[in-house]
Amino acid sequence: MTVVGLRLGLLALFLAIWEIAGRKVNPLLGVPPSAVLPSLRDLLLLRSYPDLPASLWLTIREIGTAYALAVAAGLGCGFVLGMHRLVGRAWGPMLAALYAVPAVVWYPSLMLFFGLDAASKIAFGFLLGFFPIALAVLAGIRQVNPQLVVVARAYGAGTATVFRRVMLPAMLFTLVGGLRTGLVLCVIGVVVGEILGSKAGMGALINHAYGLLRTGDYVALVLVTLVLVVGSDVLASLLERRARRWTE
Amino acid sequence: MSARPELITIEGVTKRYLTSSGPVDALHDVSLSVEEGAFCTLIGPSGCGKSTLLGMLGGLVTPDRGRLLVDGRPVTGPDPRRVATVFQEAGLFPWRTTLQNVEFGLELQGVPAERRRQTAAELLGPLGLSGFAEKYPRELSGGMKQRVAIGRALALDAKILLMDEPFGALDEQTRLLMGEWLLDIWRRTRKTVIFVTHSLHEALFLSTRVAVMTARPGRIKTALDLTMEYPRAMESSEMVALRAKLWSEIREESLRAMR
Repeated sequence: MTVVGLRLGLLALFLAIWEIAGRKVNPLLGVPPSAVLPSLRDLLLLRSYPDLPASLWLTIREIGTAYALAVAAGLGCGFVLGMHRLVGRAWGPMLAALYAVPAVVWYPSLMLFFGLDAASKIAFGFLLGFFPIALAVLAGIRQVNPQLVVVARAYGAGTATVFRRVMLPAMLFTLVGGLRTGLVLCVIGVVVGEILGSKAGMGALINHAYGLLRTGDYVALVLVTLVLVVGSDVLASLLERRARRWTE
Repeated sequence: MSARPELITIEGVTKRYLTSSGPVDALHDVSLSVEEGAFCTLIGPSGCGKSTLLGMLGGLVTPDRGRLLVDGRPVTGPDPRRVATVFQEAGLFPWRTTLQNVEFGLELQGVPAERRRQTAAELLGPLGLSGFAEKYPRELSGGMKQRVAIGRALALDAKILLMDEPFGALDEQTRLLMGEWLLDIWRRTRKTVIFVTHSLHEALFLSTRVAVMTARPGRIKTALDLTMEYPRAMESSEMVALRAKLWSEIREESLRAMR
């Protein structure tokens, strides 16, 4: 209860400061929350942007595709590098170095390769989501206590059983952490991709609104996008709970 | 005693490890036989290959030369139906409860859940873990963890129990108590135990046979048969004399190993 109270208190304080500051600036540049509410209502009633559902759905599909690809490639790559000592030693550091490159520098070439449509957003979301997943698998495998593997082998476990009964549960928390970070970065990648250049999706709507200085609509669209991000994190925590149940 | 059949036969076993600083001869031409129901202790300086020998019996290490027979059959890999192992580190699975850890081996053998749960639950009493079935390893003391690990081995109901310094990481008092407890378990279950230790006390208190190993490359230096009744009075003149004899054998090898 106290936790919820503290959260609401911070939110109220934030809204109050925003309201006071928002009334003092040029309404073309900033709007107070009280002015956002009508914009948000218009948006949700599909008056200002009738194509909101289509845009939202497109963005969700892009995120879903990017994440599915990032998970598949991240797990595959991470396990190959983690299980083969030589390959891991040779290529693991290269992977970590690539992760350190600000991914946005690749975006112009992604647009050139994949065009202005969904494909370039999916590629960018994938690029952001892939690394934390692959590196989490690598870190997770390194975390497994080799003694536990020896015990399992002595008790008759073959490679597949060692993997399922020892490796996976031992690395679960690191792995799930990586999957969660990967999802958040996929969402960021897709939305940023859309804002940097697109014809449809939430990013395109946001671009349109602030390009025309429709600041109220812009803030309302950002709020809807925020719900998308929070929703994806809720999904990730459900995934985490399932994974935990599965190991028990 | 000699009427009992040999359960374990080790013949001319040799093992060389290749390390980054050159080859290391861990074992050289080791032969040993152990009768059914015996409590055989391997004792010797650090790095003399005791653990390697145990690893071979457990099927985790393959010898370069020589052969190992368990129950008349050569060892080709881990065979938990005949040989159960307890390691120095308890090696419990942190995401499993006491009961689930004890069940582990039976689970791998495909024993139905109900039956393996029952087997494990029945073991908790003698293990002194009755109230701890649902606890996780992090909630247990060092001695308890090691008893869970021993329970995991006993649950397999294998004839042979390999123990690689199972009490090595415990404090002195716990260690003495665990020794008494193990003796009791062994006398009740009549397993054949191969026990690796650095402790003279454990060797003399527990064993029917003590094999002293040499410094690297490990060989069997002497094997003593101990016939005294259990529980043994460690202060008796016979035991004190034996202890001195054993120590002089081991001391020599330990000095060589230090050089």
